[in-house]
Amino acid sequence: MTAVLELKGVGFDYGALSVIDSLDLTVAKNELVVCVGPSGCGKSTLLSLLGGHLAPMRGTIDRRGQSRTIYQAGGLFPWLTVRQNIARGLPEKLAGSAQASKVGEWLEIMRLADFGDHYPHQLSGGMRQRVEIARALAAETDILLMDEPFSALDYQSRNRMRRELVATLVERPRAVVFVTHDIEEAVQIADRVVVLGTRPANVRRVLELPPGRSRSPATPGVAEAEQAIMDELGMS
Amino acid sequence: MQRFLFPALVGLAVLAIWWGAYAAGMFPVGTVPSPVEVALAFKSELASGRLVDDTIASLYRVAWGFVTAVLAAVPLGLVVGRHAGTRAALLPWINFFRSLSPIAWIPFAIIWFGIGDLPAIFILFIATFFQVVLATAAAAAAVPRVYYRVAEELGLRGHHVLFQITLPAILPQLVTALRVAIGVAWMVVVAAEMIAVRSGLGFLIVDARNGLRMDLVVCGMITIGGIGIVLDILFSRLSRIRSLRWGFEQ
Repeated sequence: MTAVLELKGVGFDYGALSVIDSLDLTVAKNELVVCVGPSGCGKSTLLSLLGGHLAPMRGTIDRRGQSRTIYQAGGLFPWLTVRQNIARGLPEKLAGSAQASKVGEWLEIMRLADFGDHYPHQLSGGMRQRVEIARALAAETDILLMDEPFSALDYQSRNRMRRELVATLVERPRAVVFVTHDIEEAVQIADRVVVLGTRPANVRRVLELPPGRSRSPATPGVAEAEQAIMDELGMS
Repeated sequence: MQRFLFPALVGLAVLAIWWGAYAAGMFPVGTVPSPVEVALAFKSELASGRLVDDTIASLYRVAWGFVTAVLAAVPLGLVVGRHAGTRAALLPWINFFRSLSPIAWIPFAIIWFGIGDLPAIFILFIATFFQVVLATAAAAAAVPRVYYRVAEELGLRGHHVLFQITLPAILPQLVTALRVAIGVAWMVVVAAEMIAVRSGLGFLIVDARNGLRMDLVVCGMITIGGIGIVLDILFSRLSRIRSLRWGFEQ
């Protein structure tokens, strides 16, 4: 299996505060890895390192391919329409008509065909996240990084968005690193769950989940995985 | 309906009180003109073309002072807002000069620029410049970092980041700042024209006061207030631009 991301002994400090220490992690091509950990354990810093926005102070990060990030706070440009935002994600070399049809395709996939000319502030939270996902996937990069992308959504929208993400990845596979503090979310969609310890973050445990990414609490192995993560985080 | 009717009713009420007080002899002679005198002053000033000429002269100076100040202030504000070192060095001084009334610059304006339009334009420049620098810097410093992260991933570099991220991100706040700044500039024009020029609405008022023509003073005041409202409406229209609506509706 080819690795697209390989972290060896990675460490990062903010001044005297060690946020990440001796972190080893490998993400294979088209794998969906979910990192769970308590709030403030350095998950967002980890994503910034993976995206190349921060350089590790210790250790090495080997990134084979380009990445796009979907942010918790929402990274859509509010001054651009949905259509223009998605178009920004496309490779630059695409000619005008090819670009328009690609954007149209993504609007269809994300069920946003009637909202292409809307601005982000005119959409619901779930729709905004769908635009973010479309923009990030439209780039056709090898790696997708997601920073608690659904945490601002209500329970139902969150569930629906997880299913939609998984379905979209079936058609357009790529390596995904998804960070969340939501254990249920982690065990529902991940191929592998990486449990991070409290600051400084390092890998406490790695759990392989049974195949199939749209799991319910009744799926065999899910309850056990959830319990194992809670035990690891000292929550049970 | 309410937008026009209510202000019109208040205007009529003020006019009625003014007229009633005047008719009742409540004002000492020569201190407050009657509405009729003001109306006649308007008529004669319009007929002679002086009111229009003075209005154009004032707008011309405000336009020059305002536009040159904005052109200089926005780039400086962007640097101050985006560069922490520059911000630390310059922000106290920008605040210092912003706190100085533009009127305090009048002696320098006359010594440096003599008589004519230039000293007045200089005063208007000062009145606009520091507040626009400050507003631009505050807006640029507050652009969410996530936009720059996304821009980096999209491969935007250098001036593309400035024109495609920073500027559109600060535009709504900039429009609000410009709306405030044009109001201040228009307010200051009267003072600026009380020096070294022989035209403009400010000069009209000073000249009328020297001739004890309080009817003309009021005529000038009403014109200034009216144009102030028109300028404000024009600038507030900018906030209706579709790609700026997000900044006003969020």
